[in-house]
Amino acid sequence: MLIATHLHKSFGGKPALHDVSFEVKRGEIYGLLGHNGAGKSTSLGIILGMVMPDSGDVSIDGLSILSHRSQALRKVGAIFEAPAFFDYLSGWENLRILMSYSNGFDAKAARAVVDRVGLSKRIHSKVRTYSHGMRQRLALAQALLPEPEVLLLDEPTDGLDPEGIKWFRDFILNLRDERGLTVLFNSHLLAEVELMCDRVAILREGKRVFEGSVSGLQDDTPMFEVDLEPWGMACGLIHSAGGQVLATGRISLPAGVDPAPLIEACVRSGVKVRAFAPIRRSLEDVYMEILNGAPSPN
Amino acid sequence: MLFYHQLLGELRKLFARPRTWMGYGAFFAMEFLITVVYKLEGSQRLMRGILVRNGLDFGSYYSSLTITFTIMLFSMVLLGSIYFALVAGDIVAKEHEDGNLRLVFSRPISRLRLLVVKYTAVSIYTISFVFFVGVTGYAMAVIAVGWEGGLFVMEPKMKVFAAYPDWSEGAGRLLMAAGGIGLSMLTISSIAFMFSCLKIKPAAATIITLTILFVDMILQGFPFFKPYESFFITWRMSAWVFIMEPNISWPKIIEAYAFLIGLDLSLFTLGWLAFQTRDFKT
Repeated sequence: MLIATHLHKSFGGKPALHDVSFEVKRGEIYGLLGHNGAGKSTSLGIILGMVMPDSGDVSIDGLSILSHRSQALRKVGAIFEAPAFFDYLSGWENLRILMSYSNGFDAKAARAVVDRVGLSKRIHSKVRTYSHGMRQRLALAQALLPEPEVLLLDEPTDGLDPEGIKWFRDFILNLRDERGLTVLFNSHLLAEVELMCDRVAILREGKRVFEGSVSGLQDDTPMFEVDLEPWGMACGLIHSAGGQVLATGRISLPAGVDPAPLIEACVRSGVKVRAFAPIRRSLEDVYMEILNGAPSPN
Repeated sequence: MLFYHQLLGELRKLFARPRTWMGYGAFFAMEFLITVVYKLEGSQRLMRGILVRNGLDFGSYYSSLTITFTIMLFSMVLLGSIYFALVAGDIVAKEHEDGNLRLVFSRPISRLRLLVVKYTAVSIYTISFVFFVGVTGYAMAVIAVGWEGGLFVMEPKMKVFAAYPDWSEGAGRLLMAAGGIGLSMLTISSIAFMFSCLKIKPAAATIITLTILFVDMILQGFPFFKPYESFFITWRMSAWVFIMEPNISWPKIIEAYAFLIGLDLSLFTLGWLAFQTRDFKT
């Protein structure tokens, strides 16, 4: 549905994106992860035609953003962190103006969307009187009004309270289930990405250093917390089994390797096994490993 | 139809901002002051002297039409330019500064179309503002001296001198002149609009525009530049005064406005090219 191909972009000679490619499949929620300055917003800017790539292209449902931007964006809705509305106008007037830049304003459809995002009571108030949460709801309304097939979310839950974050997450997940929306979710909130995304790409210094499923990412290299004595002898056995010693009391085994033979070997060699427990790595663990330069799972 | 809605939205944004109304307030106050000054005895004495020296009857030409002409002659370039530069300098740059353009660019509108909508809104503001000054100026002058009387025109710089004893002819000339002033003022808006499309602060767009305008006016006043005066923007912008000549010199007027319209189009194109190649990123 959305394909970014070999994107390169530099600002003032400083590379911001280097050969970044990814594909978001129809109905999928795809996360773009990375530190500030990793290239997430630049990627989103290129997708929306706000930033011109030095080379590469993005296509949405087969339409190139470089040569057919207007047609390609007809199927897209976008929400930004701290969306800057015309705050001297009401929410309703904002929707009317923004929709005039799409395919025109339909008051009935607008009322239904405003009702759905829970902003009916304040929609005719000036946006400058809105809280951050209300602005995000308005942002959601403006993104949904063109009935998009693709939603681009740029740090949409930043600054929201936990209740607001949960509401937003549930809303997006419901939308995906109801309409089969394709979502590109740009965030550095790993817990949100973990809860929402099917697949993720991790960007570091403008390069894609990982792409894969969230579940696959966590399960690929099983890790264990162990208490073995003597530790020196145990390390030899761990290496013989193809495992790696990450730290004292922390080891990893290759994907698919059963730990039972290693435990059996330890016992047979006289190594006392006091603890041997699998650790479920969080996305944060994997993310930090990848960003800190540890070998990535793919 | 979509363009019409986009334009309505742009005008709604334009007129929802207090700075758009500043100019209306300032001109209203200035018109009031000029009208009061015209009512002063000293002022009337001066006016009487000028008219009598030119063989004209004070009673016929000390009129609402003459006061309106004076208001428009003296105020539009000097005071109007500030507000045209302010509004046009803001129209793109302020939305970039406030971050609104990110939301707009998530829509399938092209940059060229967005600029055409904005430029049309600025043009409507500029031309309607000139007519507002004319209408309110005339209304105040009517309250001060009554509606009757002819129109007396004296503009030494452009060497235009005319007197229209008949109200309807004078009013007709003044109405045509307002259209001319509107077109002339559009050049100020176009300069500010072009700068607004660049990667600069809205205040910078306004200040650079006013600087260009005032430098043009100052240099034009130098005797050295007298033979080249027709190359100055502000000289071309004063071409509307030729509409007041008893025998209208259309070639002169058409030449001046062809120059200004060409300049406006060039400025728009330059602004668009700069805007089209810019990256919009937080």
